[in-house]
Amino acid sequence: MSKVSQKQQGKDLGLTLCPSCQQLSVYKKRHCSRCGSVLALRDDSSLQKSWALLITAAILLIPANIYPITIFTSQGQTRHDTIFTGITHLVDLNIIPIAIILFTASIAVPILKIVGLTIYLTAISFRLPISKKKLMIGFHIIEWIGRWSMLDLFVISITAALVNMGQLLDARPGPAATAFALVILLTQVAAKVLDTRLLWDRLESKDDSN
Amino acid sequence: MEYNCADSSVTLCRSCDLVISKRALPSGVRALCPRCHTTLYDTPYCSINGMLALCLTALIFFIPANLLPVLELHFLGSIRTTTTIEGAMAVANQGYWIVAIAVLVSAVIAPGLLLISVLTQILIIKYRLNVPFFREVLKRLLRFHELITQLSMLEIYMISIFISVFQLTDYTDIYLGMGTFCFAMLFLVTLFLQREYHIEHMWNIIDE
Repeated sequence: MSKVSQKQQGKDLGLTLCPSCQQLSVYKKRHCSRCGSVLALRDDSSLQKSWALLITAAILLIPANIYPITIFTSQGQTRHDTIFTGITHLVDLNIIPIAIILFTASIAVPILKIVGLTIYLTAISFRLPISKKKLMIGFHIIEWIGRWSMLDLFVISITAALVNMGQLLDARPGPAATAFALVILLTQVAAKVLDTRLLWDRLESKDDSN
Repeated sequence: MEYNCADSSVTLCRSCDLVISKRALPSGVRALCPRCHTTLYDTPYCSINGMLALCLTALIFFIPANLLPVLELHFLGSIRTTTTIEGAMAVANQGYWIVAIAVLVSAVIAPGLLLISVLTQILIIKYRLNVPFFREVLKRLLRFHELITQLSMLEIYMISIFISVFQLTDYTDIYLGMGTFCFAMLFLVTLFLQREYHIEHMWNIIDE
């Protein structure tokens, strides 16, 4: 055990974890002895992939918020609701708890995710002196909370199937729905493909203790 | 520098690649990476029979949860009902097939695959099918397990049902159907199943 000193990276010992079954392997073997997955010390291209997915998601966030996400007809009157006006409408109707839930899931989470991932990726790419520990905790939160944005899409699909009575009462999804679905998908994949070990390699070692 | 791999007293953090010496943990305690706070390992224990029971219960609820209506809308004497799949179809018919696929995958397909996959794994382990073919099947299932878990979003669908109820009560009368009950049960049983299931433990069984 004396060989294992403090703050030693697996890379320095030629050790790596299998990406799919998490078994410790010697990197020289190339394939995991337990599940046969290809081993890699680091996935350097993951940074590029993650940037590409993130930028696409950030662009799609604009149509997702500008275009209507639901088209609601009641007594012959048609209302086009964007994500934001849909929530303000709920506030007008005094359904505050639901408005808060939808605001968190549909507006706050996607924006925080994109901003958070941007900070994270910039910190790796440009070696920003930000505490790695804080970045990592933020990253875990982003990974976990992202799926809750699906809430809005589920609500739309239930409402569209249920409320479908022509001029009297009708609910249909709007053009923003696809953009919004893609934002969720792309940000989720962007966090998934990123090899977080790169953060700990690339930043200056003096930030280690932060 | 090389390291002896058979020495299982050492592990790496999967987020930051720190070398960590393993210690025995009491049950119910998780080891976190001292540098980046990622969960490293715990002492997994799965009761195979308990999981089998939960898995079968979940599968029994799965079919009515998806075939019976989750919501009923009463409007001017006419009744409209919807199931999860009909919801996805309604969105697809409007041309939003990406949304439809997202709904179908996360609320129907992934949870279904998850249950079938866990059931197959349990049966292979329980009846000690040590044929190379079954070992290969088990490995494949374990490799895809994390993906399926991430795609399945029963808890979020459950909350969407209740949000839809609140949103629509302003316009019409909304009733929860028998499907809602089955869906809630499916969600609860799957939740307990996932608490019981530990992928690490399953991999260790392959090693034995």
